[in-house]
Amino acid sequence: MLQKLTQWSRLKSPWILHLNTGACNACDIEVVAALTPRFDVERFGILLEGTPRHADVIICTGPATRQMKDRLIRVYEQTPDPKFVMAVGACAMSGCVYRGAYNIIGGIDQLIPVDVYVPGCPIRPDALIEGVVKLLDKIKKGTK
Amino acid sequence: MNDQVLIDKINEGLKDKVVSITNPAPRRLFLKVTADNLLTVVGWLKHELGITHLSTISGLDLGQSFELLYHFANNCCALTLRTEIPREQPVLPSICEIIPGAILYERELQDMFGITVQNIPDGRPLLLPDDWPAGNYPLRKDWQYERPPEVIPGGKS
Repeated sequence: MLQKLTQWSRLKSPWILHLNTGACNACDIEVVAALTPRFDVERFGILLEGTPRHADVIICTGPATRQMKDRLIRVYEQTPDPKFVMAVGACAMSGCVYRGAYNIIGGIDQLIPVDVYVPGCPIRPDALIEGVVKLLDKIKKGTK
Repeated sequence: MNDQVLIDKINEGLKDKVVSITNPAPRRLFLKVTADNLLTVVGWLKHELGITHLSTISGLDLGQSFELLYHFANNCCALTLRTEIPREQPVLPSICEIIPGAILYERELQDMFGITVQNIPDGRPLLLPDDWPAGNYPLRKDWQYERPPEVIPGGKS
């Protein structure tokens, strides 16, 4: 019963943490655009959280930089289980134009497991919403 | 103040401190100075000509030596000081006592080229990651970087 309730609330209101691991800010602006009234994902119960301790979903923008490595893993470990990670933007998926630079490790998936990849440079807010829907589908089906 | 007036002033005020002055384009001046005279020249430019805005310092790896370009600007020209230091002994005086804002550029020079900036008020690393191995200077031409192997999650290739 309780499990059902938590599963239901997880699906109906995923709380997200927006984490910039070295992005150029374009993806961040689009994430903010998705949260603000024009696209307004809050109507689906998606709520931006300020701390990883309250979040279900980590939205990572930007390539994983070497400086961010320990911090990213720490944020991931601070998030309570079950946790989900979305790699948002081309950089978070593979490193994109920063790939192979001396201070870049690569995509987010080089450091932490990623559930959903959202391509785009920068992503459109629609793509982000689509990604969240796919993630919720995944949680619903129990594949994660 | 046009370029010629400026050149005359510099010639008169600095005399033997400046190795050469070139004026390749209108409102653009290049001054070649030695590293020993750098502080004097920067101080003179600030106090006599009122050139206080340092746009940036750029570094150049010429193989045998490093060339540093101090880009100054005021409302009548963009003025660049070029100075060269040998690669074996990359030591440079800090201009922070004259232009305090130069500290960020000087710290970056230390990070990226391994140049020792003397008398720098705060010489901590600025840009490179905390776990950066010592003795690696990314902007030196002979620096080799080996990219760490990428793993594909799930094991597919």
